This record gives sequence, structure tokens and C-alpha cells, in this order.
Amino acid sequence: MSVLSKFQEALVCLQAGRVTLPYPAQAQPVPAKFRGRPIFDAAKCIGCAGCANNCPAREILVFDVCQEVRILKYLGRRCTYCGRCADVCPEKAIIMSHEFENATDAIADIQQQIELFMSTCQRCGRCFKEPSPLEQLKLKGYRMDDLGNERWIYRSKAFLDEEQTVDDVNIELD
Amino acid sequence: MFARDKLNLLKAKFSSAILRADLPADNRLYVFVEPRAIKPVCQHLFRDLDARYVISIGADDRPYSGQFLVAHNFAFDRDHLLCSVLTHLPADNPRLDSIAGVVTAANWAEREFRDLVGIEPVGHPYPKRLVLPDGWPDGAHPLRKDFAWNQVPEGFDDEREFAFDEPPEGCMVVPFGPFHPTLDEPAHFRLYVEGEMVRGCEYRGFMVHRGIEKLAESVLTYNEIPMMAERICGICGCVHNVAYAQAVESAATIGVPPRAEYLRTIMLEIERLHSHLLWVGLACHIVGFDTLFMQSWRIREPIMWIAEKISGNRKTYALCLIGGVRHDITPELKAELRSILDKLEAEWTPVVTAVLKDKNLQARTRGVGVADKTACKNTGLVGPVARAAGVDIDCRRDHPYAAYDRVDFDVITADGGDVWSRVVVRAKEVFESIRIIRQCLEKMEAGPMQAVIKDELPVGRLGLSSVEAPRGESHHFVITGENNRPRRWRVRAPTYQNLQGVPAMIKDQQLADMTISLGSIDPCFSCTDRLETVDLRTKAVKVWTPEELVKMVRAKTT
Repeated sequence: MSVLSKFQEALVCLQAGRVTLPYPAQAQPVPAKFRGRPIFDAAKCIGCAGCANNCPAREILVFDVCQEVRILKYLGRRCTYCGRCADVCPEKAIIMSHEFENATDAIADIQQQIELFMSTCQRCGRCFKEPSPLEQLKLKGYRMDDLGNERWIYRSKAFLDEEQTVDDVNIELD
Repeated sequence: MFARDKLNLLKAKFSSAILRADLPADNRLYVFVEPRAIKPVCQHLFRDLDARYVISIGADDRPYSGQFLVAHNFAFDRDHLLCSVLTHLPADNPRLDSIAGVVTAANWAEREFRDLVGIEPVGHPYPKRLVLPDGWPDGAHPLRKDFAWNQVPEGFDDEREFAFDEPPEGCMVVPFGPFHPTLDEPAHFRLYVEGEMVRGCEYRGFMVHRGIEKLAESVLTYNEIPMMAERICGICGCVHNVAYAQAVESAATIGVPPRAEYLRTIMLEIERLHSHLLWVGLACHIVGFDTLFMQSWRIREPIMWIAEKISGNRKTYALCLIGGVRHDITPELKAELRSILDKLEAEWTPVVTAVLKDKNLQARTRGVGVADKTACKNTGLVGPVARAAGVDIDCRRDHPYAAYDRVDFDVITADGGDVWSRVVVRAKEVFESIRIIRQCLEKMEAGPMQAVIKDELPVGRLGLSSVEAPRGESHHFVITGENNRPRRWRVRAPTYQNLQGVPAMIKDQQLADMTISLGSIDPCFSCTDRLETVDLRTKAVKVWTPEELVKMVRAKTT
């Protein structure tokens, strides 16, 4: 019976015909829901840092230059395009684009940085409306990630205790 | 009732040693015993009550209870019960009787907690380093709570070499992997070969142990971990994503809305379809039958596209959050998925018909890499490897989760125990997956996709979850914790147990059968080691160090 099965297998191949796509000469359109490179919209962003607090890859950093100016930086290196930042953004300032050809030898092509003017409610840390207690902000007040070295500074404790609040006040005085 | 029955059986025999027992549900049993009783209790469960060994977990519980914690997990598959035997060990002297002597399958797990948590399994038959890299200093245990997640231990020695065992008398050593033309992922087997016959081997793996359990319990939060859990595996990521979410839900008693359960089931089965079709292709590729490799991958492709349409990505679906799912299936997608399943069924049927009669393929795979029922029991083999040996286990039926209790399907078994039987089991399971998805699409009701979570999750609760991955049972164990993250999260991928069965499978067979025997468990590991070159003219052997390789690569690119 083996000969017959070989014929059957050959038939499977012949019926299939040519299936190779002409990529990269011509790219297939991606589905509407495709999660590509996230794009940050500075006009919509309110600087709540909800995305930074819920990024599993820790690829979004926040740094407060002073009371009024907050910098948000997207590093784009380990980003897995899970789309959680876009999910939790209360202002829908992040969209998961349809860009997937993101290979580059200059990481700056991928990175985004937005500078935000922050008005007064910055210290309450509650402008981010979390979907559930599992997403709530773990750091209130000032955020001091290391933008220069693209390092995320996160305390091993998730919630600020008394001592750390004092440290934050010191930063303000500086 | 089964949980209580088993507890009564244990109480009758070990009443004085049982300190506490929790029965949070009828399918979960947590028994806390005294350390001295751990070995007899496990032996009783494994041998007399015929439980299946799942995994052992070591945890540093000192910040909370002042003690170390060890759990041995067992499954009663016919009774739909997952059972955990736990014991606390003193902080100053974490030693425990090894159970690997009576439960062979616990060999790796005990060596793992010895490496990572520093709990000494006393009397372990082969107490050799398993997980930690070669240069890691003795006495540094990264999963202890006083060891920071980003800490590099003092005394890390790049030069230190791993001490491999001496091969038995009359045997040559043939290194297999980490780079091998037919092995897509890295693992290193030192095969002891006598002529053409393999007489034994030593395994050195865990080359890309990334410490994500540590990351989860010190850096990430509950809802971030699912996205990382998914990256444990590039083929069955969704399985880990769901298993983690279910373990936390089971610990925190969060009910998942029915629609989310159906969506989880559908995505898991889509993943199984893609994985099985991929595996059949790869297995054929390994034995040199590239025609079928191409065809089964072609048939698989529409599955990838529909997954992308539903979830936004071909493979990493990023599906679950605690208490629900993120992606819905719209009526249009439903119709499209149905037509893709019809096409898949129509295309896969002739392939299976042809393959099942293919004498060449059978000649290459029959009687190869045999693992019988006893081997399955002793080494805790799971999934298609066990089912191919006639061991009728499947978590989808035995420990129903998501919506599997509401769909009808058959568990495919075979009785050869060899590679051929595994081909048959996987080829036929494709049809069962199609059946399951069709039923889910039929029965799925409208409703919310996410449970409402109003409070922070309770602390110190235990959760277990078993999910049937394409390659076997994937088991997750969670202890909930403070600061919005678990205290301990232990992942046991199916390959963890199945790899331990490989030495028995390849023993006393031809060297050439090694690749397909290993390939037949659908192994899932990844990484890099050193490279050895032989100058053919001078016969000089040079071992390249990682530094030299890095230097060579950089010299070429600049």
C-alpha cells in the first residue's frame, strides 16, 4: 500500500499549487486588530504614567524634570507589542500601529520621547483610572527613571512607604 | 468527594504527621505534613494510591513564616484531583529527605530546588547541578528572597567548567547539541556510544534559564506576568498564559465569565492545531521526508492568520489577564474561523490517510524511542508521549478548566509507545481540536469577557493549575503575595518531565535514531554553549570559548 500512499502524498502537493507570497516585494495587508509598533500621541497624553506602570517589558520610562515638565520615553527594545499600554491608557493616546517592519540598526528610529507640560494634579497620582486594583499606580508623586542610561529605576517594593515619600520630597527640593 | 476520600486515606495511615489540610474545592487538596513524614507520604501517594507525580516546588518562605517551604504535587487523573503535599523546613537548616529514590520523576525537581533555593534533598541518588550555569558559585541561591533579582553573585567564574561524568567502560562520548543540524533548539546530550549503539547519556541543559520566576516574584505585577509567561514558549505560549491566570484565579477564587472561558478554550485549541501541524512537519523533516514537512506547514498557515485576526498576532496572543481575556471573537471572525476549520479538515484528512499507510515513514519510526507504561509512570511522562504508550491521561478531560467540561471530545491513545504511535496520536488529535472549536463557537454565549475585580488579591493563598499543552501537561503553582505580585510562581512545562524520559528512550538503540527520538517528545528548550572544532589535517582539537567566539563575530562585522 505504500506506493499508493506515495501517490496520495504527491497529489496533496500537486493540488496545493504555488502558495509562496511575493514578500518582501509586496507585503500582505495586516488585519485590523494587528498589534504593531505602539505610537504615542503627545497631544492626547496627560502624563499619568499608567502605561509605564503596566508595561510588562518595562520599556516605558518616566522622568520628572521639575514640577511642570514630565518626560515619557519609549525604548522599543524589548517591547513585545502586547498592547497593554494602549489598553490601560485613559486618553487613548497610544495606538498599536500596523507597522511590523521594525528591524533597524539605529534604535532611535523606534524610540519615542514626549515632553509634557503637567498641570497641578501631578502629586495625587490618581489621574490614571485603573481597570482594576491589579493595575493601580504603584508610585505616586515624582518619577525618576534613568533616561540617560535608559534604565528603569523601580523600587523592589511596589508601593511607596513613608521613607520613600521623604526621598521624593528631597528630590523636589533639589 | 475525592479530595476528602484521599485525605481520609492519608489520615488513616499518617494521622500524627498531618498538621493541616485545606480543601478549597473538590478538585484541590493541600496537605501540610511534618518534614519527617514527607517521604513515606509521597511514597504512599505515588505507589499505593497510584498518583501521578507532577512537580516539586521549593520556596523561600522565611519573610512570612520564618521557614522554607517545599511542595510535592501529585495528580489523581481518574479522580479529577490535584494534590499538593507541603512541608515547612527550619530557616537555619533546610534539609529534607529526598523522594527521588522512590519517585524517580522527582529527580530534576529536587535538584532544581537544591540549586535555586538551597534546600538540600538528603539521599538524592544524583545530586548534581542542574539549572545554574557552570560558573555560578556554590552557596548562592537566586530564588531566595534575600537575593536581589538583578544581583550578580560574588565569585562568578566564567572559566569554571562543568564536570561531566566519565563514560562507562568501552563507550565513546558523542556530543549531541547544543548545535545540531536537526535539532532546532539547544540542549546538550553527551551520548555514550558503543559502536553504533547508544548505551546511555548525560544531559546538560537550562542554558537559557532566564530566571523569569524570580522576575515575577520581585519586579512584575499580577497582570504583567501573563504577557511574560507567554514568552516561556514560542509554540505553546498561550498555554502558560492561561495556566498562570488560572492558578492565580484558583488561589484568589476569582470566577471567570463563561464567554472568557470559551474564548480561552478556542485560543488554546487554535494553538494546539498550529503546534501539532508544525510538529508533524518537523518530525517528517527530521526523518528526511521534506514533502510532508512543506505540506503540513502550508496547511497550518491559515490557522496562523486567523489567530492574528483574532488576537493581533500570529503566535503571541497576549490573551489572558487575571479574571478574563482581552480579545473577543466577532460574528465575522466566527464565520471565518468556521470556514478555515472546514478547509483544514478537508486538507488534513487526505494527508493523514496517506501518512498512516506510508511504509517508509513507519520503517523509520516504528519501535524507535520506546517509552512504555512503566516508564511513563516512573518518569512522569505526559501528553502525546504518554498517550502513545496507552496511558490515558489528558488534563482537558481529567482536570477540566476553561470550557472543556462543556464540550465533547475523545482522548486519542495508541499502544506502541514508539515514535510512530506519537505521530498517529498527534495527527488524529488535530481532528479533535477542530471538533472542540466548532462546539465552542456553537455554545459560546454573549456576556462580559472580564471578571470585575474590586479588591486586591488575598495574600498567602495557594493555587494550582494544569493545562494540556500540545506537548503535555503544563502545570503552574502560585502562592499569592503582597505588593500586587505572587510570592512564588512555579512553572512546570511538559518537556521538563518528558526530557527526563529521553535517556531511557534512546538507550540501546542506533545513534541515528537519536534525533527523531528526541524530536518525538516535541522538545521545547533554547540557547548557546561552546563550540569545538577539529582541524582535519592535524587532528588538533580546539575548544572555542565564548569570549573568542564573540571576538570573532565582532571582528567580522566591523
